[in-house]
Parts: sequence; C-alpha cells; structure tokens
Amino acid sequence: MASNNESQCYFVQLQFDSYLDGELSQTQREEFQSHVHKCQLCASEFKYAQTVYDFVLELPQLDCDDHVLEPIHRLGGGFQVASTTKPTFWKSLQELFTPVPMFVRYAFATALLVVLVLPLVNLGLMPSSEMPPLVAELPAGEAPQYTPQEIQQALAELNLAIQYLNEVGQRTEVMIGDRFIVTPIQESLDASFEVMRRVNADPLQDDPI
Amino acid sequence: MLDQYRQAIDQHRQRIYSFAHYSLRVAEDAEDVTQEVFIKLWQHWQKIDHGKLGAWLMRVAHNAVIDHVRQHRSTREQVDQFADVEQITQDLELGSTIDQDMFKRGLQLAIKDLDEPFRSIIIMRDVQGLSYECMQETLNMSESQVKVYLHRARRKLREDAQLRKMFDALTGSRKQKTTSTNKDEGSSHG
Repeated sequence: MASNNESQCYFVQLQFDSYLDGELSQTQREEFQSHVHKCQLCASEFKYAQTVYDFVLELPQLDCDDHVLEPIHRLGGGFQVASTTKPTFWKSLQELFTPVPMFVRYAFATALLVVLVLPLVNLGLMPSSEMPPLVAELPAGEAPQYTPQEIQQALAELNLAIQYLNEVGQRTEVMIGDRFIVTPIQESLDASFEVMRRVNADPLQDDPI
Repeated sequence: MLDQYRQAIDQHRQRIYSFAHYSLRVAEDAEDVTQEVFIKLWQHWQKIDHGKLGAWLMRVAHNAVIDHVRQHRSTREQVDQFADVEQITQDLELGSTIDQDMFKRGLQLAIKDLDEPFRSIIIMRDVQGLSYECMQETLNMSESQVKVYLHRARRKLREDAQLRKMFDALTGSRKQKTTSTNKDEGSSHG
C-alpha cells in the first residue's frame, strides 16, 4: 500500500510542470488535484514548484543603457542619441549631396573640373599642345664658333659615353631580371593562382554562424 | 538599410540584453555580449533571412554566452550583484528570514548556475516567453525535445539546495508576519 502511494506521489510530482503549463487533460487535471489535496507531501512540493514557477515568470525584462549601443549605431554612420558636437563641414556637405542622384554628382564634378582647367590652360599655367623647343633658338645672324677638331672630339666622346651606358644597361638588365624581378614575380603569380584555385573549389568556406 | 538596422536593434535589444544578463549575472559581461551580437548583425545583414531575425539573434546571443562562460570559467572573483545572496544563504542556518526580493535574487543565481542547455531554455521560455518555434530554431531542437529539456530544467532548478533554503525561509517569514498580525489584532480587540 505504502509503495503504491509512493509511486503515485512520484508520478504526480512528475506532472507538476505539465499541470502548471496547462498541458494535462481534464481527467488528468482532476486526478492531479485530488491527489495533491489529500497528500501533504505532494501538496508541500507542489506549493514550492508553483512558487518557483510564478517567481520565474515574474522576473523582469532587463534593458541596457543607450551608451552601450552608441558604438553599434556608429557602425551605421549615425547616432541614435543626439550628438552634442556640431557636424563638420565635410559632414554637412555630404548630407547636402546625399539626396542628389549619382550621375548628377559626377556630371557636376566633371563640369567643375572643365571650368577650372580651361582658364589655367589659357593662362599658360597648364601644358599646351605646343612643346617648348629643346634647344633654345639663337638670335638670327649668330652661329656657334667651334673648330672641326673640337666637333670631332665631342662626337668621339659622345660615342664612348653611349657605348658605356649600353654596357651598363645590359649588365643591369641581367642582374635585375635574374635576381629581383623574374623569379619573385613567378613565385608570386604561382601563389596567387593557387589561392584562386582553392577559393573557387570551396565557395562556402566563410560561414557566419 | 540603416533605418531597418536601427529598427532591428530597438526591437530586439531588450531581449538580447535580458538573456545575456540572466545567463551571465554580471552587467558588464551582458553589455559586451549585446554589443557583440549587434556587431555580427551588421556584418551579416545581407546574408541572413530577415523573416527569422529574432531566432538568428537569439542563436548568436546563445553562442556568445557559451563562449563567454568558457573563456571566463576561472574568473570567479568578478564582482557581481548577487554576492550578497550567497552570504544570505549561509546565514539561513541561523534562522534568519528573507523577503521576496531576496528570493528573486536567489532564483536568478540558481538559474545562472544551471548547466546548458537548461539555463538557456528556462530563460527563453519562462523569463522571456519565447515561442517553442523560435526556441526550436535557436537551439536546433525539435519541439518535443525543447519541452522535455524545459521540464528537466525546472526540476533541476527546484533541486537547488540554496533555493530550497530560501523558500523555506521565505515561507517561514510569511508565517511569522501572519502570526504577528494576528497577535496585533488580538491585542487591539482585547
């Protein structure tokens, strides 16, 4: 008999949460209430269960202060809380142009550029189509006074200089090509192709959750 | 997009912060988790399904809380607002009584001490009133699994020894108040 009561208490106590959630049928509810009314132990345990249940349901929803979310709102480029500092000139300019369509902005910028550049070209401050002479023009009637020997020597020296520069250039090309350009570029290109191959093979590798 | 993002923050901030606070107990940690959740929302705004935004946010918050608990497991010396509750429960042996506010604080402490997923489930369902559907998506469980875990969580909560002591002290203090009120009425009529 005692073991029957104990097992009944065990099953009733298992039903505490279902009863509190309203998940028992009408018959089950009546049996539950009947047992709890008679059994002091189950009544005491049920009172505890109900108290805990009620207090948990009454726990308040908490909220954080606005300053906690200020950095978050800055991510979107704005402040929820009114800022006490004045907007900067560029910020005001940006806000002014925000409603203007993009193609209008580009057209305006291009027109402004043309308007500014044209007067500068006319004033000669910008390079025009005419290139300045490489050699200054001598006044008419004046010719350089060099002897043929001087001219011949100058030409020979010029040829030597050109030959020397060619040799240096060739040696430099070889050095740079072998040590500093070809091999590193080749290695870098190979590495880039390898990365691209891996990315294309697994496009879903970046999972946010 | 910016307006929608701000709307999402206003709509869900209380729920996210509440969940983090009841899970972690320390206000600063809850603020960190809240910030982390909304930063991730900004980063993944284009990719997520906005029809299930609530469940997505809760899932991120749930994972953030678990990561935070793992990282700070040994940091018990963190000052939290429930240190006085632990002191009170030690004094209950001496027959002291408590009020409802103290019992609520003890209850929050007991919730925080539950293991996962029991803690999250009891906070989501009983404290925040989330639907089973939302909890299914958040915790990646079926509805029947959620219900089973919920009942187990409540049972584990009731098995908390300190909470039981506080309940006995609470009901003991209620009985004392009732007794003293009856005595006062008797003396006034007498």
